[in-house]
This record gives sequence, structure tokens and C-alpha cells, in this order.
Amino acid sequence: MLASVPSEALNGLEGHPVDVEADVVAAAPTFSIVGLPDAAVQESRERVRAAIVNSSFAFPSRRITVNLAPADLRKEGPSFDLPVALALLQATGQVPSVNGTRGIAAVGELGLDGGVRPVTGALAVAEGVRRRGVAGLVVPAQNAAEAALVAGLAVYPVRDLRQAAAVLAGGGAGADRAAPVDAAALLSTPPSGDVDWSDIAGQGQVKRALEVAVAGAHNVLMSGPPGAGKTMFARRLPGIMPPMSLDEAIAVTRVHSVAGLLPAGEALVVRRPLRAPHHTISTAGLVGGGATPRPGEVSLAHLGVLFLDEFPEFRLSALEGLRQPLEDGDVTISRALTSVRFPARIMLVAAMNPCPCGFHGDRERECTCPSYRVRQYRSRLSGPLLDRVDLRIEVPRLAPQERRVLDLEQTSEVVRARVTAARERQLERLDGTGAYANAHMTVRHVRRLCRLDPEAVRLLDRAYEQLRLSARACDRVVKVAQTIADLAGAETIAASHVAEGLTYRSHGMGSHAG
Amino acid sequence: MARPTDPSRRTVSRQRLGRAAEEAAARYLETRGWRLLGRNVRVGRGELDIIARRGPVLAFVEVKARRTHSCGAPEDAVGAAKRRQVARLAELWLAARPWAMGGVRDVRFDIIAVDLTSFPAAVRHLAAAFTGD
Repeated sequence: MLASVPSEALNGLEGHPVDVEADVVAAAPTFSIVGLPDAAVQESRERVRAAIVNSSFAFPSRRITVNLAPADLRKEGPSFDLPVALALLQATGQVPSVNGTRGIAAVGELGLDGGVRPVTGALAVAEGVRRRGVAGLVVPAQNAAEAALVAGLAVYPVRDLRQAAAVLAGGGAGADRAAPVDAAALLSTPPSGDVDWSDIAGQGQVKRALEVAVAGAHNVLMSGPPGAGKTMFARRLPGIMPPMSLDEAIAVTRVHSVAGLLPAGEALVVRRPLRAPHHTISTAGLVGGGATPRPGEVSLAHLGVLFLDEFPEFRLSALEGLRQPLEDGDVTISRALTSVRFPARIMLVAAMNPCPCGFHGDRERECTCPSYRVRQYRSRLSGPLLDRVDLRIEVPRLAPQERRVLDLEQTSEVVRARVTAARERQLERLDGTGAYANAHMTVRHVRRLCRLDPEAVRLLDRAYEQLRLSARACDRVVKVAQTIADLAGAETIAASHVAEGLTYRSHGMGSHAG
Repeated sequence: MARPTDPSRRTVSRQRLGRAAEEAAARYLETRGWRLLGRNVRVGRGELDIIARRGPVLAFVEVKARRTHSCGAPEDAVGAAKRRQVARLAELWLAARPWAMGGVRDVRFDIIAVDLTSFPAAVRHLAAAFTGD
């Protein structure tokens, strides 16, 4: 007898509809799975057999052929366990086939005891099932919340095979459904942070520079001695970033779900991510990859902050891999048969010591490095990557009296409000361009949309000549100046805005031109 | 029974053991409503111990005998290679006889383990002991 249960395969974040077909025929007993299954899918035969028997169903002693259609798409992972078992139960008449054209799909891993275990990427699966037009989806209970984010899909959380079979038998009627998630409500409750902008004493200039950076989503390079507070600042950046829209939250949740980072039972990532990989990370870990392509840190930081501390210590190949995401906002990983795209629109925050010992330029402690080593250390910063850094900020160690100056009024919430207002002005100006912040403006956008006062133009021309800025560096200054103007609520970019923008550009970093 | 002391007599005795076990297995099945379709059935260069039918179930039964427990439980003596061989021979046998599948719903590979250390011999029937893969 023949039966078929719809399911979904994931290629990166994209779903592809799969039909799990089962054919049970009176013949010498074998159990084969076809349709380019990987090792985990082949192993599912053992799990399915044990799960069926331990759920008090009968396992047929006949020839069983399971086909995961389409036959030319690679099937990976244990999430097909559940639909295979259900198709078998239907093919042996132990569970009636689902009537009705729109059907019920299923995903889930099976334990030997018949329990249903969570899968990764449930949100992307649910989206794919919905797109296909299937009305319902049986999912592991721990994945139900994220699947319930998809409107118009009936989500049936199940804990074991018997429960899943009951859902199918009833065609979904009378079965428990996951309650639709009010994502807007989840997002509107402000993220309760354990860290706050006002925790940081003094450092007014650094705070201002970072506020500008966040407002325009500009990439930042922080330089300073160890312990000056670079990490403290980085951890508080997501707190001053504008709140995520629903689309943004779903985009982030989708990536985290596929990476297996969504805690069980949670529906939505509500806070902008902060990823801080150690500098020994591999290229694949940072950018994404692996035999089965997985998102890298840069994608896990999508719409949030990627903090690279000890920037010069990172492998050159890993840093080179950041070029594409910094340029295009996504990462494409190619394999023999397919290519996978993960989003990676990040704010890059790089931090470094000014020299190997860390105290070059420090007002109190002597730098103990020979000058050739300082040059060597700084030359490890790749030119093209530095080209994408819009602001360079020095984070000095505080003098003792400065350490007691606390500005408790400038909380994360207050700063965030300013940043959000500045972003809204940007969105208005950038409407229709595809960019959502000043940092992402192309040269054409800058020419067309940024309006400078005459004095601002003159100042910029002088800087171009005297500081020998490249054209690219000039555009960058304009973008930053535009953000500064947006923070001030100004209609046009004034000379003062350009002046401030210039201070973030040329900083005592040595020989790098522009 | 005299203890065998020379190799030729030991071999004969092992053959006798095999026969005794098969007899016990055959009787066991028949008393439980199985119809024996064949015993020691030659298929190609191999042999299937017992082919039996009961209702909608067609069973290919491999019989194993043991005199002592020293070599492990009898069912473990049907190793992977042997199992593959039984499955292969069964497919061949079925392929040559399409009529044999009439009214059959389940096809099984069973093991009957005959423990000859006790008297009368203890018979253990492991239904669906293995599959073709």
C-alpha cells in the first residue's frame, strides 16, 4: 500500500517541499530509503523501527520502500524521522490517510522510545510549508512557538509518535494547536538589559562617537590599551540600537533557529544579537561553511553587532572572508550541487591595542615595543578591511578623577531614543533605495541624497587636499557627517558636521592614507 | 552415547546434531499450525533450512543447534553473512515461484534455536529475527 506525507527540506534558510512516500509490499522484508538521503537519514530506519514498535504499533514484516521526493535533492538530518514513521503507519493502514487537498505536513526527530525530539530551523520549515499551501504542520512541542509565528498555518505540537498519529488520523480536528504568537507584543516590551550605557564612567568622546556609529550603522575600529573599556562599550551597543521591526526580528530568528541557537520553547529573538567570537576562530566559523553549510558568526550577528576583539590576531583568511558580507550584506557559500545564502548585514566593531604591549600613546605607561614591532603589528590590519571602517575611535584609559564621573541620565533608553529618531530620518530619505542606514549608501546615493551647505563643501574640499583623502574616504566622511546631521535633526549637512566627521576619520593610526 | 574421539566421528556427530535440531524445529512448527513448504531446500549453491506458511505469514526459518552454552546463544550463531545469504536465497526462491506469494501478507526471516543440552530439547522461536538489510 502507498502513502505520502508532506514535509520540508532546508537548504540554508530556504525551504524546499519534500514528499515522504512509503510503499509497503508483501515480499521479503527489507527497509530502504531512497532520495539522496545522508547518513542521518539512513540511520532513521533504526529510529523509526524502534519508535513504531515502542509506540505499540506494528512494524510490517514486508518490503518497505521510502522515497523522499524529489529524488535529486539531497536530504539531510534526522528531521524526516517523523514523516517517515507516519507514512509507514498510513501505508499499513494503522493510521488513516489524511483527506482533503491541503493536507498536514510533519517534521521531527524520533527517539527510540517513540518520543518526538526538536529540530533546527523549524521557523524556516513552517514558512516553506505555508508557501506550499499545506494547511497544517505537525512539529515537536519544543519547536511549536517559533512555527506559530507563521500566520495562516495550523501548528500541532506533539511529544510522541502516538500523538502525531492521532493528529493525522483526525485530520487535525480536535487536536491541540499552538496558539498564534503575538510577535508585535513580544517586540514592544523593551529588552530588559543587565547592562546599561550609563554604567560607563567618563569617556564622553567615545560615547559620542559610538552613538554616531550606531545611528548610521557605521563600522567602527576602537583602539586603546587593555582594560580601557572597549569590551564594556561593545556589550552595551545592542542596547542603544533602535528596536527591531517585526521583519527584522523574524530574519534574525530564522538564522538563529537554523543554527540551533533558539532556546526550546522560545518563539522570537527580540534583542539585536551581539556576537563576540574569539580571535582563534576559523574562516568557516566566522563567515559560515562546513560540509553542510551553517551560518557563521557574521550571519548570527545579522542586524546586530559583530565584535572582533584583538582584531589583528584574527586569521587573515577569516578577515578576508568578511569582505563579501561587509560589501553585500550577505554570505554566499557554494558547494558542488548547491549554493546557500545567509544574510549578514552587520555593524562591525573591531577593537585592538595600539601596539603589542598595549601602551603605545598611553599618557602614563611607557610602550615597551620596538618601533618596528609597532609598525609590524599595525600592518596586520588589512587595507581593504580598514576601508570599510567608517569611524576610528581611540579609547584611552581614564584618569582617576574621570573614573568617578557617572552620567546617570544618559541611559541606554535615552540614547536609543535619539538613535531611533536619527534612523527614522534616514529611512525617510533612503526610501526606495534598498538601504536602511547611512552606512549602506552607495556612491550614487551619496551624490543624490546628501545635501551639504556651501561651507561644508569648502571644508570638505580643503580636507581632501590637505589631508590627501581618497575619493572613497571623502564619501565616507560625508556619510558620517550625514548621520551627525541626522542626530542633530538638521535638514542639510553643515560644516560643523563635516568637521566632526573628519575627526573620526584621520586618527593617529600611523601610515594609512585617508 | 560414547564420546567421539577421532575427527571423523566428531563430524558425523555434528551432522546428527543438525538433523536432530531440524527435526525438533519442524515438529515444533507443525504442532503450532505451520505448514512446511520445504526442508533443506536447495537454492543455487545454498540451502534454506525450513520454509513454512501459516495464514498470511510466509517464514524462512534458519535452524541452529548447540550442544553447550560455551559458544554463546544459538541465535547469535546466525551472523551477518549468514543472514544476508538467507535473505538472498529467499528472494531467489520467491522469484522462481510467483504463486508462492498468493495470500501472503507478511514475509519473515525467523530463527529457531534448539538447545540440545536439555532433554527434551528446548526450542526457542525468534520470529522476524532479522531482515534483508
